[in-house]
Amino acid sequence: MKLELGKIMIKDVQFGEETKVEKGTLYVNKEKIKEMVLEDKRLIKADVELARPGESVRIAPVKDVIEPRVKVEGNGQVFPGIINKVKTVGEGRTHALVGSNVVTCGKIVGFQEGLIDMSGPTAKYTPFSKTNNVCVVIEGREDLETHEYEEAGRLAGLKVAAYIGEAGKKVEPDEIVTYETKPLLEQVAEYPDLPKVGYVHMLQSQGLLHDTYYYGVDAKVMVPTFMYPTEMMDGAIVSGNCVAPCDKVTTFHHFNNPVIEDLYERHGKDINFIGVVLTNENVWLMDKERSSDMTAKLCRHLGLDGVIITEEGYGNPDTDLMMNCQKVAQEDIDVVLITDEFPGRDGKSQSVADTVPEADALVSCGNGNVIEYFPPMDKVIGTLDYIETMIGGYEGSLKEDGSIEAEIQIIIASTIANGYNTLAAKGY
Amino acid sequence: MVKEIERAGIPVVHLATIIPISLTIGANRIVPAVSIPHPLGNPKLSYKESKELRKELVGRAFKALQTEVDGQTVFEN
Repeated sequence: MKLELGKIMIKDVQFGEETKVEKGTLYVNKEKIKEMVLEDKRLIKADVELARPGESVRIAPVKDVIEPRVKVEGNGQVFPGIINKVKTVGEGRTHALVGSNVVTCGKIVGFQEGLIDMSGPTAKYTPFSKTNNVCVVIEGREDLETHEYEEAGRLAGLKVAAYIGEAGKKVEPDEIVTYETKPLLEQVAEYPDLPKVGYVHMLQSQGLLHDTYYYGVDAKVMVPTFMYPTEMMDGAIVSGNCVAPCDKVTTFHHFNNPVIEDLYERHGKDINFIGVVLTNENVWLMDKERSSDMTAKLCRHLGLDGVIITEEGYGNPDTDLMMNCQKVAQEDIDVVLITDEFPGRDGKSQSVADTVPEADALVSCGNGNVIEYFPPMDKVIGTLDYIETMIGGYEGSLKEDGSIEAEIQIIIASTIANGYNTLAAKGY
Repeated sequence: MVKEIERAGIPVVHLATIIPISLTIGANRIVPAVSIPHPLGNPKLSYKESKELRKELVGRAFKALQTEVDGQTVFEN
């Protein structure tokens, strides 16, 4: 499967009568977006606000972040099985409006949504302080069940991102990157002397607002499977979860998975990147056992020599991570784990909930329990009403002047456990 | 908490879903529970069946509490 990803660099975002890209500026039609969001009768209010890097703006509670993309050539459309018909994607050409994002925010769904500061000392913790954000502020009907509100918000974000993405369809990209993974036997034969490396991608699937979708399939009811990495770049995987903000794998991150990016970078040089094993993180022990058994079986079946495993969330998913690690290692495959850590504010507690002797190579993405001070911002997009009950916040977190004291796990993607950040925890 | 209470000389049963975590933290008497969101119940069962399930789990926990163990033990039944 071969995909050309055309990157259209976006340096600014403005409102305009027409949604279009011109000389690196993205113009969006506010009314059209509001109309589109309110087509879903479960939502009663919608607004659109813009947030640019360096502005004194705080966005909260953030539900998802989505990069606008569009299929230009090849089968299917972005987000197949969710807002478009099911069709295998990952081939042909796709355009991305790099440097812009759709951010869904507004009245909280669960308690695990986060915040984004566009400037100040806490902006550095999230990649989305550096992008031009089209914030879609939503409010659901009073009588909506929480999971219905989650779904309405999720679909609204995806629809708006796909709509904005269309603006890039006929624009000449600033850069085109080609990614290719061949059918298994051909891929193995292409670089016979290089170690065969795979990526085990664990999807959040605990249920109760912690769900991820693969071609529209709820990850908690799937068994581990094998996929081409480029399928993800077309939106085969969509986030639907309100997991702890710091390590939420947003839909943006599924498009731009750093492990996949780096494995492709070294593909044909010192490794042979074979593909992605997709698995889940369920709440029944039997499911954890079954999925990790099957993950190890697939890795062996594919003849892998080495595997990188990432998880989403923390706590009991650490057990899935460790079971995968142990069982894959027992197949005589080298394993490296990537995860974040929660050793408490003083750093003295056990930093992952579970561990196994085979976990002897781990990349840390930082300590989510570190406390930070968030100075007041001139403007809030969404609301700060829920700060104290959001993960990372606590009683007294929100001050009268709008400043916040909270653990950095309240920030979207601050310790994201796939390495799309710059933090690491280390022992002293 | 399990370890600290046991250190004070009181035996503890860890009634929890994810046995690997119970083993990692060092619990000695472990009774497997149903699922993380509902450790002592199962929403798929009727009220009567659920009550029986709870009774069986608590009964097993009492049995574990009265059983001498030589190291970490999982009470499957």
